[in-house]
Amino acid sequence: MSIKIENVSYTYLKKTPNEVEALHNVSFEIKEKKITAIIGHTGSGKSTLIQMLNALSTPTSGRIIVDRFEIGPNPKKNKNIKELRRHIASIFQFPEYQLFEETVEKDVAFGLKNYGVKQEEAIKRGHEALKQVGLDESFFSRSPFELSGGEKRRVAIAGILVLDPDILVLDEPTAGLDPEGTRIILDLIKELNNQGKTIILVTHDMNIVLNYADEVVVLKEGNLVYQGVPSELFSLSSDDLSLEIPPLYQFSKALIDKGLNININSIKNIDDLIKEINRK
Amino acid sequence: MSKITFGRFSPYNTIVHRLDARNKILMTILLLVSIFLKVNSWSSTLIMSAFMLLFLILFMLISKVSFIDLFKSLKTMWLLVIFLLIIYIFIPNPNYNPEHIAFYIGRLAINYDAFYQSGYIILRIVMMLMVTMILTSTTSPMDLTYGLEWYMTPLKLIRVPTHIIAMTLSIALRFIPTLLDETERIMKAQSSRGVDFVHGGIGKKFTAIISLIIPLFVSAIGRSEELSNAMEARGYDPYAKRSKYRKLTFSWADLFGLLLILCIFGAVLTLRTYDSNVMPVDFIYWIFKAKPLF
Ligand SMILES: Nc1ncnc2c1ncn2[C@@H]1O[C@H](COP(=O)(O)OP(=O)(O)OP(=O)(O)O)[C@@H](O)[C@H]1O
Ligand SMILES: [Mg+2]
Repeated sequence: MSIKIENVSYTYLKKTPNEVEALHNVSFEIKEKKITAIIGHTGSGKSTLIQMLNALSTPTSGRIIVDRFEIGPNPKKNKNIKELRRHIASIFQFPEYQLFEETVEKDVAFGLKNYGVKQEEAIKRGHEALKQVGLDESFFSRSPFELSGGEKRRVAIAGILVLDPDILVLDEPTAGLDPEGTRIILDLIKELNNQGKTIILVTHDMNIVLNYADEVVVLKEGNLVYQGVPSELFSLSSDDLSLEIPPLYQFSKALIDKGLNININSIKNIDDLIKEINRK
Repeated sequence: MSKITFGRFSPYNTIVHRLDARNKILMTILLLVSIFLKVNSWSSTLIMSAFMLLFLILFMLISKVSFIDLFKSLKTMWLLVIFLLIIYIFIPNPNYNPEHIAFYIGRLAINYDAFYQSGYIILRIVMMLMVTMILTSTTSPMDLTYGLEWYMTPLKLIRVPTHIIAMTLSIALRFIPTLLDETERIMKAQSSRGVDFVHGGIGKKFTAIISLIIPLFVSAIGRSEELSNAMEARGYDPYAKRSKYRKLTFSWADLFGLLLILCIFGAVLTLRTYDSNVMPVDFIYWIFKAKPLF
């Protein structure tokens, strides 16, 4: 399931004095079975873009093609939306606001029940999803409202994972989590990707981009300004993208400048760097 | 999901926007009363309504109120129209006149009265919508509450805490758009968990609504708690004497507008006291059958 975004524009509050063009004529393709990071400054249109991927909002103009589904400006013409949402699921910024059931396990199972899975089966698969996000049995029958912010976040993520979508869209899934929670979520994302899922990840953290993403898309004020691989992006010393270069990349670059002959494009994390240095 | 935009403040800078909020509240009340006062004679009702309608349309144009929003809210009114028609068909008609019968459905005689009465009510509701729309989309919620607070000043004498009421009101008004945004956000989140807010039977709809309402309440309560903490942290004391950041000023335009509305109000009052025995139905009957009216 590849995703094609064709000349997509989106305007909030169209035809009012508060009109905002959040996306302007954006076109690109998201590759299958890869982790694509979408980055850009606050207000650059990232959330706006990913909400259209599963037809939660429709583009003002242009269209998005996900496999055999097409999302165009006219909501009435977009067919099989529920089916589409089974294949591509989104986790939004601050998903903890979507919890509502009495217990954590019921809340996680809720999505499956919407697709007609029986209660028992749904709960069972819910338990698996909860374990995947690092929450053990002691959480299953607690009320979701009694949990801490980070725990709520993980429950909400489990609530989407349980649907087992082919494409997973995550809007800043790690914002506000502690390092341990962040690592669990990111490792999970990597693991899901290895299982063959396409991942689209919105983030502000360049370390995550370098470490996890195969592809990176940069938005700036509603325009697409870059698409490519992370290491290449960071090697462009472009001030107009005004990106924060990850320390690891800066360090590797400094090593190269000092005369060490390593391949910067294969360095994604500290282990890679050590391997590269040892190889020499 | 389409946004609910009816009556939302739209920050243009027209002459109507610049009018004093207190004055606009007064004018709105006068207009609403004029719309709902029953003028006795049918011909004057017709003339008055036509005049009011034109006047309101003109006002909407001047103040750049969206006609699309108005039509959108009217679209949902057809149910009301049918409901009113049915009621007027079945309630006994005090001035029953066999000549007023429009047609029969089986043995049921349908009077012109039913159409006239329901049509007139609909017209008045439409005009009422127009008036309130003009008020709320040209006056910011803040100004509106300041205006209301001003009208409540006399209550201070009997120790009613008017500024607390005003503060409560303005916070409530301020949070309406926030809650609407929140609603949209939660609906989107639940939609990606497979909730269908549009299709499905009663059971499905019920679960869908629950999955929206509970998170909405939780976040609203959370927000109010945060807000009250934040207010206290900034030293808000409801009983302290306070000064105003924005002053409401009564301008020449206000005077002119008020006079205009007073003229309309006066005209309606005069027409109301001017009694005529011609029944509205006679008039319709006269149009259709072209018989002498009086
Ligand atoms: N509901 C809305 N109504 C009006 N304007 C909006 C709305 N949501 C977003 N915008 C505007 O659209 C633009 C893009 O917003 P968007 O939420 O997509 O940004 P973002 O890239 O996700 O930012 P962040 O990194 O802060 O999450 C911003 O200028 C924002 O002010
Ligand atoms: Mg965002």
